[in-house]
Amino acid sequence: MSKSFGDVRAVRDLDLRLEQGRTVALLGPNGAGKSTLISMILGLRTPDAGTVRVLGETPERAVRAGRVGAMPQTGRLIGGVTVRELVGFVQRAHAAVTRGPMPSQDELMAIARISDLGGRRADALSGGQAQRVRFALAVAGAPDLIVLDEPTAALDIESRRELWAAIRACAERGATVLFSTHYLEEADAEADRIVVVDRGRIAADGTSDEIKRRVPGRTVSVDASVLPDPSGLPGVVSSEVDGRRVRLHTTDADATVLALAAAGAVRDLEVTGASLEQAFLTLTHAGAETAAPTAAAAAAAKEIVR
Amino acid sequence: MMLVHYVRLELLRLLRDPGYLIMTLASPLTMYLVFTNLDLGGGTSADGAVYSMVGMAGFGAIGAVMTSGVSIAEDKPLGWIRQLRLLPLAPSQVVVGRALCAMAAAVPPIAAICLAGGLVNDVSMPPERWILVIVLLWLGIAPLAVLGVGFGYLLTAQKAQMAGLTVYMGLSLLGGLWFPISKMPSWLADVSRVTPVNRYGELSWQVAGGHAPTLVGTLVLAAWATAFTVFAVVGYRRSAQTV
Repeated sequence: MSKSFGDVRAVRDLDLRLEQGRTVALLGPNGAGKSTLISMILGLRTPDAGTVRVLGETPERAVRAGRVGAMPQTGRLIGGVTVRELVGFVQRAHAAVTRGPMPSQDELMAIARISDLGGRRADALSGGQAQRVRFALAVAGAPDLIVLDEPTAALDIESRRELWAAIRACAERGATVLFSTHYLEEADAEADRIVVVDRGRIAADGTSDEIKRRVPGRTVSVDASVLPDPSGLPGVVSSEVDGRRVRLHTTDADATVLALAAAGAVRDLEVTGASLEQAFLTLTHAGAETAAPTAAAAAAAKEIVR
Repeated sequence: MMLVHYVRLELLRLLRDPGYLIMTLASPLTMYLVFTNLDLGGGTSADGAVYSMVGMAGFGAIGAVMTSGVSIAEDKPLGWIRQLRLLPLAPSQVVVGRALCAMAAAVPPIAAICLAGGLVNDVSMPPERWILVIVLLWLGIAPLAVLGVGFGYLLTAQKAQMAGLTVYMGLSLLGGLWFPISKMPSWLADVSRVTPVNRYGELSWQVAGGHAPTLVGTLVLAAWATAFTVFAVVGYRRSAQTV
Protein backbone atom coordinates (compact mmCIF):
# COMPACT_ATOMS: atom_id res chain seq x y z
CA MET A 1 0.00 0.00 0.00
CA SER A 2 0.98 3.62 -0.39
CA LYS A 3 0.16 6.86 1.40
CA SER A 4 1.33 10.38 0.70
CA PHE A 5 0.79 13.66 2.49
CA GLY A 6 1.28 16.36 -0.10
CA ASP A 7 4.77 15.81 -1.48
CA VAL A 8 5.77 13.52 1.35
CA ARG A 9 5.48 9.86 0.41
CA ALA A 10 5.09 8.41 3.89
CA VAL A 11 4.50 4.81 2.80
CA ARG A 12 5.57 3.58 -0.63
CA ASP A 13 4.36 0.35 -2.20
CA LEU A 14 4.73 -1.46 1.05
CA ASP A 15 3.66 -5.08 1.21
CA LEU A 16 3.43 -6.83 4.54
CA ARG A 17 1.80 -10.00 5.77
CA LEU A 18 1.73 -10.94 9.43
CA GLU A 19 1.20 -14.46 10.71
CA GLN A 20 -1.22 -14.86 13.57
CA GLY A 21 0.14 -15.36 17.05
CA ARG A 22 3.55 -13.85 16.37
CA THR A 23 5.15 -10.76 17.84
CA VAL A 24 6.46 -8.50 15.12
CA ALA A 25 8.53 -5.35 15.50
CA LEU A 26 8.40 -2.46 13.08
CA LEU A 27 11.84 -0.99 13.47
CA GLY A 28 12.71 2.34 11.96
CA PRO A 29 13.90 5.87 12.62
CA ASN A 30 11.56 8.84 13.06
CA GLY A 31 9.73 9.66 9.86
CA ALA A 32 10.20 6.16 8.45
CA GLY A 33 6.46 5.77 7.96
CA LYS A 34 5.78 3.45 10.90
CA SER A 35 2.95 5.51 12.35
CA THR A 36 1.34 6.07 8.96
CA LEU A 37 1.48 2.34 8.31
CA ILE A 38 -0.08 1.65 11.70
CA SER A 39 -2.83 4.24 11.16
CA MET A 40 -3.79 2.42 7.95
CA ILE A 41 -3.76 -0.98 9.66
CA LEU A 42 -6.13 0.48 12.26
CA GLY A 43 -8.39 2.02 9.64
CA LEU A 44 -7.80 5.57 10.89
CA ARG A 45 -6.39 6.50 7.49
CA THR A 46 -7.17 5.13 4.06
CA PRO A 47 -4.28 4.14 1.77
CA ASP A 48 -3.95 6.11 -1.49
CA ALA A 49 -3.24 2.82 -3.25
CA GLY A 50 -3.54 -0.79 -2.17
CA THR A 51 -5.72 -2.35 0.50
CA VAL A 52 -5.42 -3.51 4.07
CA ARG A 53 -7.08 -6.62 5.44
CA VAL A 54 -7.05 -7.32 9.15
CA LEU A 55 -8.04 -10.82 10.24
CA GLY A 56 -9.74 -11.25 6.88
CA GLU A 57 -11.82 -8.07 7.18
CA THR A 58 -11.47 -4.37 6.52
CA PRO A 59 -9.72 -2.57 9.39
CA GLU A 60 -12.95 -0.73 10.30
CA ARG A 61 -14.85 -3.99 10.62
CA ALA A 62 -12.11 -5.67 12.60
CA VAL A 63 -12.04 -2.71 15.01
CA ARG A 64 -15.84 -2.63 15.21
CA ALA A 65 -15.84 -6.34 16.01
CA GLY A 66 -13.49 -5.68 18.91
CA ARG A 67 -10.77 -7.87 17.42
CA VAL A 68 -8.13 -5.15 17.39
CA GLY A 69 -6.63 -3.30 20.33
CA ALA A 70 -4.33 -0.39 19.84
CA MET A 71 -2.11 1.93 21.76
CA PRO A 72 -1.33 4.99 19.66
CA GLN A 73 2.01 6.70 19.98
CA THR A 74 0.77 9.96 21.43
CA GLY A 75 -2.10 10.61 23.73
CA ARG A 76 -2.78 11.19 27.37
CA LEU A 77 -5.62 10.01 29.55
CA ILE A 78 -8.74 12.09 30.02
CA GLY A 79 -9.55 13.94 33.21
CA GLY A 80 -12.58 13.59 35.44
CA VAL A 81 -12.54 9.80 35.70
CA THR A 82 -10.69 7.25 37.77
CA VAL A 83 -8.57 4.53 36.23
CA ARG A 84 -11.15 1.94 37.27
CA GLU A 85 -14.00 3.89 35.63
CA LEU A 86 -12.05 4.36 32.42
CA VAL A 87 -10.91 0.75 32.14
CA GLY A 88 -14.41 -0.42 33.05
CA PHE A 89 -15.96 1.67 30.30
CA VAL A 90 -13.59 0.36 27.64
CA GLN A 91 -14.19 -3.20 28.80
CA ARG A 92 -17.95 -2.75 28.61
CA ALA A 93 -17.57 -1.34 25.10
CA HIS A 94 -15.85 -4.57 24.14
CA ALA A 95 -18.16 -6.84 26.11
CA ALA A 96 -21.04 -5.81 23.84
CA VAL A 97 -19.35 -7.35 20.78
CA THR A 98 -16.70 -9.81 21.92
CA ARG A 99 -17.70 -13.44 21.60
CA GLY A 100 -14.69 -15.07 23.20
CA PRO A 101 -13.75 -15.06 26.87
CA MET A 102 -12.68 -11.72 28.29
CA PRO A 103 -10.64 -11.17 31.42
CA SER A 104 -12.52 -9.72 34.38
CA GLN A 105 -11.66 -6.14 35.21
CA ASP A 106 -9.50 -7.25 38.13
CA GLU A 107 -7.66 -9.74 35.95
CA LEU A 108 -7.14 -7.14 33.26
CA MET A 109 -5.78 -4.63 35.74
CA ALA A 110 -3.47 -7.29 37.16
CA ILE A 111 -2.17 -8.17 33.67
CA ALA A 112 -1.47 -4.51 32.95
CA ARG A 113 0.04 -4.08 36.42
CA ILE A 114 -2.29 -1.28 37.39
CA SER A 115 -4.22 -3.05 40.18
CA ASP A 116 -3.03 -0.46 42.69
CA LEU A 117 -4.10 2.49 40.53
CA GLY A 118 -7.85 1.82 40.34
CA GLY A 119 -8.92 4.76 42.49
CA ARG A 120 -6.51 7.28 41.00
CA ARG A 121 -7.59 10.01 38.61
CA ALA A 122 -6.57 8.93 35.12
CA ASP A 123 -4.96 12.27 34.29
CA ALA A 124 -2.81 12.34 37.42
CA LEU A 125 -0.49 9.40 36.79
CA SER A 126 3.21 9.15 36.09
CA GLY A 127 4.36 8.44 32.54
CA GLY A 128 4.93 4.74 33.16
CA GLN A 129 1.64 4.31 35.03
CA ALA A 130 -0.33 6.13 32.32
CA GLN A 131 1.29 4.01 29.65
CA ARG A 132 0.27 0.81 31.45
CA VAL A 133 -3.29 2.12 31.75
CA ARG A 134 -3.28 2.91 28.03
CA PHE A 135 -2.05 -0.62 27.45
CA ALA A 136 -4.91 -1.97 29.57
CA LEU A 137 -7.34 0.00 27.39
CA ALA A 138 -5.76 -1.54 24.28
CA VAL A 139 -6.13 -5.12 25.50
CA ALA A 140 -9.39 -4.71 27.44
CA GLY A 141 -11.36 -6.74 24.93
CA ALA A 142 -8.81 -9.57 24.66
CA PRO A 143 -8.17 -8.63 21.01
CA ASP A 144 -6.64 -10.99 18.45
CA LEU A 145 -4.37 -8.26 17.16
CA ILE A 146 -2.59 -5.80 19.45
CA VAL A 147 -0.98 -2.81 17.78
CA LEU A 148 1.42 -0.71 19.84
CA ASP A 149 3.01 2.38 18.35
CA GLU A 150 6.28 3.04 20.15
CA PRO A 151 4.89 1.76 23.45
CA THR A 152 8.06 2.38 25.44
CA ALA A 153 9.13 5.74 24.03
CA ALA A 154 9.96 8.18 26.83
CA LEU A 155 9.69 5.52 29.55
CA ASP A 156 12.41 4.82 32.09
CA ILE A 157 13.97 1.37 32.23
CA GLU A 158 11.83 0.11 35.08
CA SER A 159 8.59 1.22 33.40
CA ARG A 160 9.74 -0.32 30.16
CA ARG A 161 10.38 -3.63 31.86
CA GLU A 162 6.95 -3.62 33.51
CA LEU A 163 5.17 -2.74 30.29
CA TRP A 164 6.94 -5.49 28.40
CA ALA A 165 6.01 -8.01 31.06
CA ALA A 166 2.38 -7.05 30.46
CA ILE A 167 2.71 -7.20 26.67
CA ARG A 168 4.35 -10.61 26.88
CA ALA A 169 1.51 -11.90 29.05
CA CYS A 170 -0.91 -11.02 26.25
CA ALA A 171 1.29 -12.48 23.54
CA GLU A 172 1.45 -15.73 25.48
CA ARG A 173 -2.33 -15.96 25.31
CA GLY A 174 -2.01 -16.22 21.54
CA ALA A 175 -2.54 -12.60 20.48
CA THR A 176 -0.67 -11.25 17.49
CA VAL A 177 1.41 -8.27 18.58
CA LEU A 178 2.69 -5.61 16.22
CA PHE A 179 4.80 -2.90 17.81
CA SER A 180 6.97 -0.15 16.47
CA THR A 181 10.21 0.95 18.03
CA HIS A 182 13.40 2.91 17.51
CA TYR A 183 15.43 0.45 19.48
CA LEU A 184 17.12 -2.50 17.84
CA GLU A 185 17.70 -4.05 21.28
CA GLU A 186 13.98 -3.91 22.06
CA ALA A 187 13.03 -5.45 18.74
CA ASP A 188 15.73 -8.05 19.26
CA ALA A 189 14.57 -8.97 22.75
CA GLU A 190 10.81 -9.01 22.19
CA ALA A 191 9.99 -9.82 18.57
CA ASP A 192 9.83 -13.09 16.65
CA ARG A 193 10.27 -11.09 13.51
CA ILE A 194 11.66 -7.67 12.75
CA VAL A 195 10.47 -5.57 9.84
CA VAL A 196 12.83 -2.69 9.24
CA VAL A 197 11.06 0.29 7.72
CA ASP A 198 12.89 3.21 6.21
CA ARG A 199 11.54 6.06 4.11
CA GLY A 200 8.22 4.33 3.62
CA ARG A 201 9.66 1.04 2.42
CA ILE A 202 10.61 -2.25 3.99
CA ALA A 203 14.39 -2.17 4.18
CA ALA A 204 14.76 -5.59 5.77
CA ASP A 205 12.50 -8.29 7.09
CA GLY A 206 13.50 -11.35 9.06
CA THR A 207 14.24 -12.87 12.41
CA SER A 208 16.27 -10.98 14.92
CA ASP A 209 19.43 -12.92 13.99
CA GLU A 210 18.96 -12.25 10.30
CA ILE A 211 18.46 -8.55 10.89
CA LYS A 212 21.39 -8.25 13.27
CA ARG A 213 23.59 -9.83 10.67
CA ARG A 214 22.65 -7.03 8.31
CA VAL A 215 22.22 -4.07 10.62
CA PRO A 216 25.59 -2.80 11.86
CA GLY A 217 25.25 -2.39 15.59
CA ARG A 218 28.71 -0.93 16.26
CA THR A 219 31.02 1.57 14.72
CA VAL A 220 34.76 0.86 14.95
CA SER A 221 37.00 3.76 14.07
CA VAL A 222 40.78 3.98 13.74
CA ASP A 223 43.29 6.46 12.44
CA ALA A 224 43.04 6.50 8.65
CA SER A 225 46.80 6.42 8.16
CA VAL A 226 47.04 2.81 9.40
CA LEU A 227 44.15 1.54 7.33
CA PRO A 228 44.34 2.58 3.68
CA ASP A 229 41.79 -0.01 2.50
CA PRO A 230 38.93 -1.09 4.77
CA SER A 231 37.46 -3.61 2.32
CA GLY A 232 37.40 -7.27 3.24
CA LEU A 233 37.30 -6.80 6.99
CA PRO A 234 34.95 -9.25 8.72
CA GLY A 235 31.59 -7.84 9.85
CA VAL A 236 32.00 -4.51 8.12
CA VAL A 237 28.89 -3.51 6.18
CA SER A 238 30.06 -0.06 5.16
CA SER A 239 32.75 2.44 5.91
CA GLU A 240 33.52 6.10 5.55
CA VAL A 241 36.49 8.35 5.94
CA ASP A 242 35.92 11.36 8.14
CA GLY A 243 38.99 13.58 8.13
CA ARG A 244 41.82 11.60 9.64
CA ARG A 245 39.63 8.81 10.87
CA VAL A 246 38.02 5.90 9.12
CA ARG A 247 34.73 4.64 10.48
CA LEU A 248 33.71 1.02 10.00
CA HIS A 249 30.06 0.10 10.53
CA THR A 250 30.08 -3.48 11.62
CA THR A 251 27.72 -6.25 12.59
CA ASP A 252 30.48 -7.99 14.53
CA ALA A 253 32.73 -5.55 16.33
CA ASP A 254 34.81 -8.34 17.96
CA ALA A 255 35.75 -9.91 14.63
CA THR A 256 36.43 -6.53 13.09
CA VAL A 257 38.73 -5.47 15.91
CA LEU A 258 40.59 -8.80 15.90
CA ALA A 259 41.16 -8.51 12.15
CA LEU A 260 42.39 -4.94 12.56
CA ALA A 261 44.81 -6.07 15.27
CA ALA A 262 46.05 -8.94 13.12
CA ALA A 263 46.70 -6.49 10.31
CA GLY A 264 48.48 -4.15 12.73
CA ALA A 265 45.97 -1.45 11.89
CA VAL A 266 45.14 -0.35 15.42
CA ARG A 267 45.81 3.28 16.25
CA ASP A 268 43.44 5.36 18.34
CA LEU A 269 40.88 2.54 18.21
CA GLU A 270 37.37 3.46 19.28
CA VAL A 271 34.27 1.25 19.37
CA THR A 272 30.88 2.95 19.74
CA GLY A 273 27.27 1.88 19.38
CA ALA A 274 26.04 2.87 15.95
CA SER A 275 23.11 5.21 15.87
CA LEU A 276 20.01 3.66 14.42
CA GLU A 277 19.90 6.29 11.70
CA GLN A 278 23.42 5.31 10.67
CA ALA A 279 22.49 1.66 10.72
CA PHE A 280 19.49 2.29 8.50
CA LEU A 281 21.47 4.37 6.09
CA THR A 282 23.83 1.47 5.57
CA LEU A 283 21.05 -1.02 5.35
CA THR A 284 18.94 0.87 2.86
CA HIS A 285 21.90 1.63 0.62
CA ALA A 286 23.00 -1.98 0.72
CA GLY A 287 19.46 -3.30 0.23
CA ALA A 288 18.38 -0.84 -2.44
CA GLU A 289 18.94 -3.15 -5.40
CA THR A 290 17.31 -6.19 -3.82
CA ALA A 291 14.38 -4.29 -2.35
CA ALA A 292 13.33 -2.52 -5.54
CA PRO A 293 11.84 -5.42 -7.55
CA THR A 294 9.79 -6.69 -4.60
CA ALA A 295 8.41 -3.24 -3.96
CA ALA A 296 7.45 -2.81 -7.60
CA ALA A 297 5.55 -6.08 -7.58
CA ALA A 298 3.62 -5.05 -4.51
CA ALA A 299 0.83 -3.06 -6.14
CA ALA A 300 -1.83 -5.72 -5.61
CA ALA A 301 -3.91 -6.37 -2.52
CA LYS A 302 -2.05 -6.63 0.74
CA GLU A 303 -3.10 -8.80 3.57
CA ILE A 304 -2.26 -8.10 7.13
CA VAL A 305 -2.77 -11.02 9.48
CA ARG A 306 -4.87 -13.77 8.04
CA MET B 1 -26.65 -0.82 25.52
CA MET B 2 -23.31 0.71 24.72
CA LEU B 3 -24.66 4.23 24.39
CA VAL B 4 -25.65 4.25 28.06
CA HIS B 5 -22.13 3.38 29.21
CA TYR B 6 -20.62 6.09 27.07
CA VAL B 7 -23.11 8.74 28.18
CA ARG B 8 -22.54 7.75 31.80
CA LEU B 9 -18.78 8.15 31.48
CA GLU B 10 -19.02 11.56 29.82
CA LEU B 11 -21.66 12.69 32.34
CA LEU B 12 -19.34 11.73 35.18
CA ARG B 13 -16.68 13.95 33.67
CA LEU B 14 -19.18 16.76 33.24
CA LEU B 15 -20.47 16.58 36.81
CA ARG B 16 -16.95 16.56 38.22
CA ASP B 17 -16.32 19.90 36.59
CA PRO B 18 -18.93 22.07 38.38
CA GLY B 19 -17.21 25.29 37.31
CA TYR B 20 -18.30 24.52 33.82
CA LEU B 21 -21.94 24.08 34.80
CA ILE B 22 -21.98 27.28 36.84
CA MET B 23 -20.45 29.20 33.95
CA THR B 24 -23.14 28.10 31.50
CA LEU B 25 -25.80 29.06 34.00
CA ALA B 26 -24.64 32.41 35.34
CA SER B 27 -24.60 34.54 32.22
CA PRO B 28 -28.01 33.70 30.72
CA LEU B 29 -29.63 33.92 34.16
CA THR B 30 -28.14 37.35 34.79
CA MET B 31 -29.08 38.52 31.32
CA TYR B 32 -32.62 37.24 31.78
CA LEU B 33 -33.16 39.11 35.03
CA VAL B 34 -31.56 42.31 33.70
CA PHE B 35 -33.38 42.19 30.35
CA THR B 36 -36.78 41.60 31.82
CA ASN B 37 -36.37 44.30 34.44
CA LEU B 38 -35.21 46.81 31.81
CA ASP B 39 -38.29 45.78 29.85
CA LEU B 40 -36.54 45.16 26.55
CA GLY B 41 -38.58 42.03 25.88
CA GLY B 42 -42.13 41.75 24.75
CA GLY B 43 -43.54 44.31 27.16
CA THR B 44 -45.09 43.81 30.54
CA SER B 45 -47.92 41.63 29.33
CA ALA B 46 -48.18 38.04 30.48
CA ASP B 47 -47.37 36.91 26.93
CA GLY B 48 -44.25 39.03 26.96
CA ALA B 49 -43.09 37.50 30.22
CA VAL B 50 -43.48 33.97 28.85
CA TYR B 51 -41.82 35.06 25.62
CA SER B 52 -38.64 36.34 27.25
CA MET B 53 -38.45 33.43 29.69
CA VAL B 54 -38.54 30.87 26.88
CA GLY B 55 -36.17 32.99 24.79
CA MET B 56 -33.58 33.34 27.53
CA ALA B 57 -33.87 29.71 28.61
CA GLY B 58 -33.24 28.73 24.98
CA PHE B 59 -30.34 31.17 24.84
CA GLY B 60 -28.82 29.59 27.95
CA ALA B 61 -29.31 26.11 26.51
CA ILE B 62 -27.51 27.10 23.29
CA GLY B 63 -24.63 28.48 25.33
CA ALA B 64 -24.37 25.22 27.24
CA VAL B 65 -24.33 22.94 24.19
CA MET B 66 -21.81 25.16 22.40
CA THR B 67 -19.57 25.07 25.46
CA SER B 68 -19.63 21.28 25.38
CA GLY B 69 -18.39 21.52 21.80
CA VAL B 70 -15.35 23.34 23.14
CA SER B 71 -14.71 20.63 25.72
CA ILE B 72 -14.81 18.01 22.94
CA ALA B 73 -12.21 20.00 21.03
CA GLU B 74 -10.11 20.01 24.20
CA ASP B 75 -10.29 16.20 24.31
CA LYS B 76 -8.75 15.89 20.88
CA PRO B 77 -5.12 16.64 21.74
CA LEU B 78 -5.40 14.01 24.48
CA GLY B 79 -6.19 11.40 21.85
CA TRP B 80 -9.54 10.61 23.46
CA ILE B 81 -11.51 10.90 20.20
CA ARG B 82 -9.08 8.52 18.54
CA GLN B 83 -9.29 6.19 21.52
CA LEU B 84 -13.07 6.03 20.99
CA ARG B 85 -12.53 5.44 17.29
CA LEU B 86 -10.48 2.36 18.18
CA LEU B 87 -13.25 0.88 20.32
CA PRO B 88 -16.09 -1.22 18.95
CA LEU B 89 -18.41 1.81 18.91
CA ALA B 90 -20.27 3.07 15.86
CA PRO B 91 -19.48 6.72 15.02
CA SER B 92 -23.20 7.49 15.30
CA GLN B 93 -23.25 6.08 18.85
CA VAL B 94 -20.37 8.30 19.90
CA VAL B 95 -21.88 11.40 18.31
CA VAL B 96 -25.34 10.78 19.76
CA GLY B 97 -23.82 9.98 23.15
CA ARG B 98 -21.85 13.17 23.22
CA ALA B 99 -24.85 15.16 22.01
CA LEU B 100 -26.90 13.73 24.89
CA CYS B 101 -24.23 14.93 27.30
CA ALA B 102 -24.34 18.37 25.72
CA MET B 103 -28.10 18.28 26.23
CA ALA B 104 -27.57 17.31 29.85
CA ALA B 105 -25.43 20.40 30.25
CA ALA B 106 -28.38 22.44 28.97
CA VAL B 107 -30.59 21.33 31.88
CA PRO B 108 -29.23 23.77 34.51
CA PRO B 109 -29.74 26.98 32.47
CA ILE B 110 -33.20 25.87 31.32
CA ALA B 111 -34.22 24.93 34.87
CA ALA B 112 -32.74 28.06 36.45
CA ILE B 113 -34.37 30.48 34.03
CA CYS B 114 -37.76 28.79 34.19
CA LEU B 115 -37.50 28.86 37.97
CA ALA B 116 -36.60 32.55 37.92
CA GLY B 117 -39.45 33.13 35.47
CA GLY B 118 -41.96 31.51 37.77
CA LEU B 119 -40.68 32.86 41.07
CA VAL B 120 -39.26 36.28 40.22
CA ASN B 121 -41.04 37.37 37.05
CA ASP B 122 -44.47 35.93 37.85
CA VAL B 123 -44.79 33.80 34.74
CA SER B 124 -47.84 31.66 35.27
CA MET B 125 -49.10 28.73 33.24
CA PRO B 126 -51.09 25.59 33.99
CA PRO B 127 -48.75 22.85 35.32
CA GLU B 128 -49.02 20.67 32.18
CA ARG B 129 -47.91 23.62 30.04
CA TRP B 130 -44.95 24.25 32.30
CA ILE B 131 -43.92 20.64 31.86
CA LEU B 132 -44.34 20.75 28.09
CA VAL B 133 -42.45 24.04 27.76
CA ILE B 134 -39.53 22.71 29.78
CA VAL B 135 -39.47 19.35 28.00
CA LEU B 136 -39.52 21.00 24.57
CA LEU B 137 -36.84 23.48 25.59
CA TRP B 138 -34.72 20.48 26.41
CA LEU B 139 -35.59 18.15 23.52
CA GLY B 140 -35.57 20.94 20.95
CA ILE B 141 -31.95 21.78 21.70
CA ALA B 142 -30.89 18.41 20.19
CA PRO B 143 -30.06 19.71 16.66
CA LEU B 144 -27.92 22.51 18.07
CA ALA B 145 -26.29 20.11 20.50
CA VAL B 146 -25.24 17.97 17.54
CA LEU B 147 -23.94 21.09 15.77
CA GLY B 148 -21.84 22.00 18.81
CA VAL B 149 -20.52 18.44 18.95
CA GLY B 150 -19.58 18.69 15.25
CA PHE B 151 -17.68 21.94 15.91
CA GLY B 152 -15.83 20.14 18.68
CA TYR B 153 -14.74 17.29 16.42
CA LEU B 154 -13.74 19.41 13.44
CA LEU B 155 -12.21 22.50 15.02
CA THR B 156 -9.50 23.34 17.50
CA ALA B 157 -10.70 24.46 20.93
CA GLN B 158 -10.12 28.09 20.06
CA LYS B 159 -11.99 27.91 16.77
CA ALA B 160 -14.78 25.83 18.30
CA GLN B 161 -15.19 28.59 20.84
CA MET B 162 -15.41 31.22 18.09
CA ALA B 163 -17.90 29.16 16.11
CA GLY B 164 -19.91 28.42 19.24
CA LEU B 165 -19.97 32.07 20.24
CA THR B 166 -21.15 33.06 16.76
CA VAL B 167 -24.07 30.66 17.01
CA TYR B 168 -24.74 31.58 20.65
CA MET B 169 -24.88 35.33 20.06
CA GLY B 170 -25.59 35.62 16.34
CA LEU B 171 -28.24 32.96 15.89
CA SER B 172 -29.90 33.76 19.21
CA LEU B 173 -30.32 37.35 18.06
CA LEU B 174 -31.37 36.43 14.54
CA GLY B 175 -33.56 33.59 15.76
CA GLY B 176 -35.59 35.97 17.90
CA LEU B 177 -34.62 34.69 21.33
CA TRP B 178 -33.75 38.21 22.54
CA PHE B 179 -36.66 40.06 20.98
CA PRO B 180 -39.58 38.83 18.85
CA ILE B 181 -39.05 38.56 15.11
CA SER B 182 -42.27 40.53 14.66
CA LYS B 183 -40.12 43.57 15.53
CA MET B 184 -37.69 42.76 12.70
CA PRO B 185 -37.94 43.97 9.09
CA SER B 186 -40.02 41.40 7.23
CA TRP B 187 -37.14 40.13 5.09
CA LEU B 188 -35.07 39.51 8.20
CA ALA B 189 -38.00 37.78 9.87
CA ASP B 190 -38.19 35.48 6.82
CA VAL B 191 -34.52 34.64 7.19
CA SER B 192 -35.07 34.05 10.89
CA ARG B 193 -37.82 31.52 10.25
CA VAL B 194 -35.35 29.31 8.37
CA THR B 195 -32.91 29.19 11.28
CA PRO B 196 -32.94 26.25 13.67
CA VAL B 197 -32.81 28.64 16.61
CA ASN B 198 -36.07 30.39 15.73
CA ARG B 199 -37.85 27.11 15.19
CA TYR B 200 -36.41 25.80 18.44
CA GLY B 201 -37.86 28.73 20.34
CA GLU B 202 -41.10 28.44 18.43
CA LEU B 203 -41.72 24.94 19.83
CA SER B 204 -42.01 26.25 23.37
CA TRP B 205 -43.62 29.59 22.50
CA GLN B 206 -46.40 27.69 20.74
CA VAL B 207 -46.95 25.32 23.62
CA ALA B 208 -46.80 28.15 26.18
CA GLY B 209 -49.55 29.87 24.25
CA GLY B 210 -51.67 26.74 24.33
CA HIS B 211 -51.02 25.71 20.72
CA ALA B 212 -49.41 22.61 19.25
CA PRO B 213 -45.95 23.03 17.65
CA THR B 214 -46.29 23.91 13.96
CA LEU B 215 -45.67 21.23 11.35
CA VAL B 216 -43.45 23.52 9.25
CA GLY B 217 -41.40 24.46 12.29
CA THR B 218 -40.91 20.85 13.28
CA LEU B 219 -39.87 19.91 9.74
CA VAL B 220 -37.39 22.79 9.51
CA LEU B 221 -35.90 21.69 12.82
CA ALA B 222 -35.76 18.05 11.68
CA ALA B 223 -33.98 19.05 8.45
CA TRP B 224 -31.36 20.96 10.42
CA ALA B 225 -31.01 18.03 12.81
CA THR B 226 -30.27 15.70 9.89
CA ALA B 227 -27.74 18.06 8.33
CA PHE B 228 -25.97 18.68 11.65
CA THR B 229 -25.82 14.95 12.41
CA VAL B 230 -24.10 14.26 9.08
CA PHE B 231 -21.74 17.16 9.81
CA ALA B 232 -20.91 15.79 13.26
CA VAL B 233 -20.40 12.18 12.14
CA VAL B 234 -18.10 13.30 9.31
CA GLY B 235 -16.28 15.52 11.79
CA TYR B 236 -15.83 12.63 14.21
CA ARG B 237 -14.46 10.34 11.55
CA ARG B 238 -12.06 12.99 10.31
CA SER B 239 -10.86 14.01 13.73
CA ALA B 240 -9.26 10.65 14.51
CA GLN B 241 -7.09 10.05 11.48
CA THR B 242 -3.71 10.02 13.11
CA VAL B 243 -2.17 7.56 15.51
